[in-house]
Amino acid sequence: MKITALLVLKAAPETSDPVILANASDVSHFGYFQRSSVKEFVVFVGRTVASRTPPSQRQSVQHEEYKVHAYNRNGLCAVGFMDDHYPVRSAFSLLNQVIDEYQKSFGEAWRSAKEDSAQPWPYLAEALTKFQDPAEADKLLKIQRELDETKIILHKTIDSVLARGEKLDSLVEKSSDLSMASQMFYKQAKKTNSCCTIL
Amino acid sequence: MQARHGQSSYRDRSDEFFGIVKSRRRSIAPAAENNVPYGGGGGRREDPRSAAANQSEFSKRASLIGLAIHQTSQKLSKLAQLAKRSSVFDDPTREIQELTVVIKQEISGLNGALLDLQAVRNSHNDESSISRDTTTHSATVVDDLKNRLMDTTKEFKDVLTLRTENMKIQEDRMKKFSKISSKESANPFVRQRPLASKPSPSQPAPLPWANGSSSSSSQIVPSRQGEAESSPLLQQSQQQQQHMVPLQDTYMQSRAEALHNVESTIHELGNIFTQLATMVSQQGEIAIRIDQNMEDTLANVEGAQSQLARYLNSISSNRWLMIKIFFVLIAFLMVFLFFVA
Repeated sequence: MKITALLVLKAAPETSDPVILANASDVSHFGYFQRSSVKEFVVFVGRTVASRTPPSQRQSVQHEEYKVHAYNRNGLCAVGFMDDHYPVRSAFSLLNQVIDEYQKSFGEAWRSAKEDSAQPWPYLAEALTKFQDPAEADKLLKIQRELDETKIILHKTIDSVLARGEKLDSLVEKSSDLSMASQMFYKQAKKTNSCCTIL
Repeated sequence: MQARHGQSSYRDRSDEFFGIVKSRRRSIAPAAENNVPYGGGGGRREDPRSAAANQSEFSKRASLIGLAIHQTSQKLSKLAQLAKRSSVFDDPTREIQELTVVIKQEISGLNGALLDLQAVRNSHNDESSISRDTTTHSATVVDDLKNRLMDTTKEFKDVLTLRTENMKIQEDRMKKFSKISSKESANPFVRQRPLASKPSPSQPAPLPWANGSSSSSSQIVPSRQGEAESSPLLQQSQQQQQHMVPLQDTYMQSRAEALHNVESTIHELGNIFTQLATMVSQQGEIAIRIDQNMEDTLANVEGAQSQLARYLNSISSNRWLMIKIFFVLIAFLMVFLFFVA
């Protein structure tokens, strides 16, 4: 369940390659010498996929051991490199969020970008770390998970309530026995009290 | 008897008919009087004529009922034809409904008439003296009429079921037609795309105009509540790469599925809470009972304790009395001893 990289590109309409607007990659689990090549690979595959994604379309491509998810909205394209276990839906909702955030923070300035921007975008980096857990990205998953936990807790509660019911039943029995016994006791006392004339 | 085969008689029985009409006319005056003393012994001399009048009255009624049943079955066959015929045209609906109502009324009327007939037959079978053959005959006639009425009712039911099935088929067809018409209305909206993209299928956005239209319709798509909006997407991407269609579909479908799951989970949770509340309230009752038992026990024990205290008191006070009694006893013993020794 790992996100390896997140990219935001401007998908150019024709010919030219998409322009990278933001890039965040997590290459920590590769060896030191492989990191730069992995970054290059990410950039290249990201450009290819973005150029092949038509606007307002979502696409998922399997590349070696990564799934590359791309979402193109109006020329602004978000690409994510995830492994196979990452649920597709949360991936796309994550890309949605990224694009919304980018549009909010940069407005329409990206439309004029002609070359890869080198400034890192901190939001993307922290998004990368935050959304390693798919539940964070996808509210639905989070809700579903919480609901399942709640259901488990409720099941336990019902079990304990049943046990409580059993205990209450035994208590009722005992208390009724006690009441009977005390009644007998009272009657006996009254009886011995009534016929005392012998002694 | 003219009654039995009112609808299938090919023999010319008009002479019989005239004779019976004459006898009917003769007996119609006394039959009106004899309507009252059915139960008692009215005029014995009018009994044979009244018996005949009753019998012919019975047969007349039976013939009327048979005729009515025949007419009803004819109408029913017409209704069945109409119901089978109505495929796409909705015109005979009203007629069908009218016919249905009429047939229903007739059937209920016939039911009532049959019951009356049976009652009449029973009544004058008990009172007047007629042969056994006539009774069996009238019984057979009544049974036959009843069977015919049952068959008619069954046919009526079959026709009604057939009609409902046809109506359902019609509704499906109408739905299909209406769906196709709505799809066609969406198509010209996007129809420009294939014309433009045919020369260059690899270019994603051939016309800015088409791009604008598709983008405006795609603004709806990335909403978080994307449930069943796969159709406009299908329209757009149909001319594009084919493998995108199942992906969009699966994306939307998976979202829809997830939402359904969430909804059903919440529903189950609601159920569980309700059960929990029920159990707790039941156990509350049990707790109240326990409380009452304990209070009873407390009262009993307190009462017993007071009794014992009193007993103790009485015992301790009694000792004083006991000593006195003892003394008296010893006194008596002394006196006794003195007497003996």
